[in-house]
Amino acid sequence: MDYLLLALLAGLAAVERKGFLQAMLSRPIALAPLTGLALGDLPGGLLLGPPLELLWLGAVNLGAALPPHETLGAAAVAGGAVLAGRALGSGVTPAVACLTLALVATLAVLGRSTDRLIEEWNVRLAARAEDLLEKGQLQAALRVNLRGLLLPFAASFALAPFAAALAALLVPAALRRFPGAAPPLAFGWAALSGFAAAAGARAFRSQRGLPLFLTALALSAAGARMLGMWR
Amino acid sequence: MRVPALTLARVFWRCLFLQAAWNRRGMQNLGFAYAMAPALRRLYADPERRREALRRHLSTFNCHPYTAAAIVGGAIHHEERVAAGEEAASATAEYKQVLQGPLAAVGDGFFWAGLRPFFGALAAVGTLAAGWPALVAALAVYNGLQLWLRWSFFWAGYASGDAVVERVAALSLPRWASRLRDGGTVLAALGGALLASRAGPSPGTAAVVALAAALAGWWALSRGARLLPSAYAAMLLGVLAALALSRLPGGP
Repeated sequence: MDYLLLALLAGLAAVERKGFLQAMLSRPIALAPLTGLALGDLPGGLLLGPPLELLWLGAVNLGAALPPHETLGAAAVAGGAVLAGRALGSGVTPAVACLTLALVATLAVLGRSTDRLIEEWNVRLAARAEDLLEKGQLQAALRVNLRGLLLPFAASFALAPFAAALAALLVPAALRRFPGAAPPLAFGWAALSGFAAAAGARAFRSQRGLPLFLTALALSAAGARMLGMWR
Repeated sequence: MRVPALTLARVFWRCLFLQAAWNRRGMQNLGFAYAMAPALRRLYADPERRREALRRHLSTFNCHPYTAAAIVGGAIHHEERVAAGEEAASATAEYKQVLQGPLAAVGDGFFWAGLRPFFGALAAVGTLAAGWPALVAALAVYNGLQLWLRWSFFWAGYASGDAVVERVAALSLPRWASRLRDGGTVLAALGGALLASRAGPSPGTAAVVALAAALAGWWALSRGARLLPSAYAAMLLGVLAALALSRLPGGP
C-alpha cells in the first residue's frame, strides 16, 4: 500500500511539474513533506524538503533545455528515507537521509533521459493529432493533447517506488551491519546541507551573488550562535 | 462576434495544460490548439472553417507556460476579427510568431529564474524556522500570485491584442526579477545557516563542517563543477571530516 501511494504521488507530481499547472507542488519542498505525510512520517519529510529544494533550486525548464528530474529524485529520496527509517525504528535521521540520497539521487539524472524520450515520443502524438484533424475528427485530434500526460505519470509511477524499495532494503541493512557509521554519515548530511545552500544561492545568478551570500551566511550563522542554536 | 465570458474561462483553464504533450517538433503546438478549441467552436460554426483555424494553431509554438496565457488571449482577440472578416487569417499566426520569443524570455527570467526559486528558498527557510504552516503559507502566496498574473496576462491579451506588449512591459518584471534574485541569494544563505544550526550529532562541529561545505560548494560550482557529483563529494568529505575529527582528543 505504501509503495502504491508513493507511486501515485510521484506520478501525479511528474504531471504537475510540466504537463499541468506548475504550481510548485512537484518541487522537493512540497513533495518531500507530502511523501512523508502519505507514508506516515511528516517530520521526516520536513527534514528532507529544505535541503533537497535548495540543492535543486536551479532545476528549471528553460526553453527546450531539460534539467535533472528533481521531482523524481525528491520522491525517491523522501520515499526511500521514510521507509528505511521506519524499518530501523528510528524515523528519518541524518544518517538515513545521507545514505538514501547517496543511493538514489542519481534517479534525477535518469529522469532527465526519460523526459527526453517522452518528448521524442510526443512527436508521434503531434503527428497523430494532425492526421485526425485532416480526417475531420476535430475532438479526437484535440484529446490527443491530454494523452501526453500519461507517459510522465507512468515513468515516475514505476521508477520512484522501485528506487525507494532499493533504499528501504539496503539502507537499514547497512546501518545495522555498521552501527558506528551513523555519526560520520550525519556529518555527511551536514556537509550536503551546506553544499545545498551554496547550490541554491548560485541558482539565482545574482550579479552581487558572492558578497550577498557571504554576508548573509556570516550574519545568520553569527545570529544562530548568539541565539544559542549551536552548542 | 465576441467570445462569451464562460468560454474565455474554459480557454484559460485549458491554458494550464499547454505543455501536456510538449514535443520536439511543434513544442507546445498541441497544447495551444487544445486551449483555443472552445473559443474557435464559438467563432466558427462551419466545421471546415473551424478545422482551418485549428490547423493554424497546430503550427510550432513555444513560450513560457505562464506568459503564454497572454498570447492565447491575444490569439482569441485576433480570431474574433478573422471570423468577422476584419483581418486576414495570417494575422493570428503573425501575432503568435512575433510575441512568443520576447514573452518566453520575460517569463523565464522573471518566473523561472526569479519568483519561483525565491518562493522555493522562502518556503525552505520558513519550514526550517516554523514548520509546515510556513510551508503552506509560502505555497499559497506563490500560487495566488502566479494564477492572478496568468489570468491578468490572458485578459490583457484578449482585451488589448497587440497592445499586450505595453501592458506586460509596464509591470517591469525584469527589474523585479533582479530584486528577487538578490533576495533569494540571501534566503539560500539563511537556509544554509539554519540547516547548519541543526546538524547533528554534535551541532557545533557539524555546523562548522556545513559552513565549510557551503563555501567550498560555492567555489566549486562557480568554477563549473557539476551539481550532483559535487553533492556526492560534499557528503564524502563530510564523512571523512567526521572520521578525522573522531581521532582527535575530545572529538565528536
